[in-house]
Amino acid sequence: MTVRAKPRRPSGSAQHNPGPKGDDLLQVLVENVRDYAIVLLDPDGKVLSWSPAAQRLKGWATDEIIGQSFARFYPEEDIQRGKPQNELKAAGQDGRFEDEGWRVRKDGTRFWANVVITALRDNNGKLRAFGKVTRDLSERKEAEDKIKKQAQEILEMATIPVVQVWEGIVLVPLIGTLDSARTQQLMERLLQHVTDSGSPVAVIDITGVPAIDTQTAQHLIETVSAVRLLGAEVVLTGVRPVIAQTLVHLGVDLSSVATRSSLAAGLRTAMEMLSLAIVPKADKP
Amino acid sequence: MSASSITVVKVRDVLLVAMPSDPDDSVITALQEQAMRSMDQHEAKALILDISAVETLDSFFARTISETAQMVSLMGGRTIIAGMRPAVAVTATQLGLPLKRVETALTVERALDMVSLGKRQGSAR
Amino acid sequence: MNATIEKEVVIKTESDIVVARRAVREGASALGFGLTDTTRIVTAASELARNIIKYAVEGTMVLHPLEDGTRTGIELTFVDHGPGIPDIAKAMKEGFSTSGGFGMGLPGAKRLMDEMDAQSAVGQGTTVTVRKWRRQ
Repeated sequence: MTVRAKPRRPSGSAQHNPGPKGDDLLQVLVENVRDYAIVLLDPDGKVLSWSPAAQRLKGWATDEIIGQSFARFYPEEDIQRGKPQNELKAAGQDGRFEDEGWRVRKDGTRFWANVVITALRDNNGKLRAFGKVTRDLSERKEAEDKIKKQAQEILEMATIPVVQVWEGIVLVPLIGTLDSARTQQLMERLLQHVTDSGSPVAVIDITGVPAIDTQTAQHLIETVSAVRLLGAEVVLTGVRPVIAQTLVHLGVDLSSVATRSSLAAGLRTAMEMLSLAIVPKADKP
Repeated sequence: MSASSITVVKVRDVLLVAMPSDPDDSVITALQEQAMRSMDQHEAKALILDISAVETLDSFFARTISETAQMVSLMGGRTIIAGMRPAVAVTATQLGLPLKRVETALTVERALDMVSLGKRQGSAR
Repeated sequence: MNATIEKEVVIKTESDIVVARRAVREGASALGFGLTDTTRIVTAASELARNIIKYAVEGTMVLHPLEDGTRTGIELTFVDHGPGIPDIAKAMKEGFSTSGGFGMGLPGAKRLMDEMDAQSAVGQGTTVTVRKWRRQ
């Protein structure tokens, strides 16, 4: 493109040119692009011109929005935070500003938008206007959120099963690292299950936990305390030598919790707590 | 009168109190007074608090239960809270409510079993 | 949008703590919080409302829904014009209480919520704001 001496005016029709020239074709392009809302703002952020796609996307008619501040496209909380003005400032300083976030239509509904604001300067470097190109990415955002939610659900289901292994005994086999979010889920699901099934013993197996740190140990202790408040007991199983060493070195006191090295030994302890015993069949030869 | 909304029932040598879902402070204070009076009258072995309806256990409520349990203990009895809701237990743990001298049970039935069998199980601390 | 959830409760007597708890429980459920988080929020409100009765005699709780485009949350503001707390930062730390006892009013509420701001001036009063965001 050639550098123009004068800033381009929003209306490209020149008086002495009968056929369409470059500027006119550009105007045709702006008016016919369907997927991008193209808006021209004055240096203060007031709307100078407005493409048909902008009207379709945002809902205002051209004569309703010309002269209005572009802040109207932003949600209330963004306006309070001064986001519209900050974005203009950033575009003015850097020449260009890009953002992805919520914007508002005339009817108050929100859409997820990609917005690029470009500073338009004349040859002397004076700021004449801002070009603002907005794309509606709501569908993409929705699809992304849906996938994220599904992934989260799969993670929740797959990672923390609570299994009723015997009447009165529930088992939680933990696999992978325990962060706060997972501990929260573990606690809630385990406690609900203990209450619903009226199980007085919960066996937590940590064979599948690769490493334990102070925080993980703290989370475990919290879970144990919560289970006890319900009136049930916890047996911690799968405490491998390396984990036992770490716990001692970290100074974590699990002395109040029944711990067993193997799940089998833990289940036996759980049975004893319920005054149950597994005995060989008497009539076996 | 909110103080009358606490009823202490005596079953054999056990005192049983069912707490309402959202008791105000005067009800909680009345719980302590009435529990102590009943302990004195009946020489009970244990005080069982059914908290299965309780939706909020804050530090004031917990402190009153804990104090009551310590008094009951001085009089030779034990205190068991039964049926704490999972959401309440998670919150209590996070809040770090100290429930000294308080035993816990999944249900009132199990608490009664604990008393009759002289068994200790599920202690809050 | 959430005008119906917005609420103000005057906290003057011990029974107002129950009123505040109920208002918070209703508000948190209406905003879609799960049972465990609702219990946390209600318990925090109970601690902070009792602080007002204990230290300031009288105050208010304002319940306000939060929305930042991607997340929904709840904000509770407790305002009193009581004696104020000289060292509010210290009061928010573990195990500190001007009335002895458990000392878990402020720190306890802080643990149950996601965010807490507190301002206090001696002789003028205390404002405590707590927020919790809904887990996605």
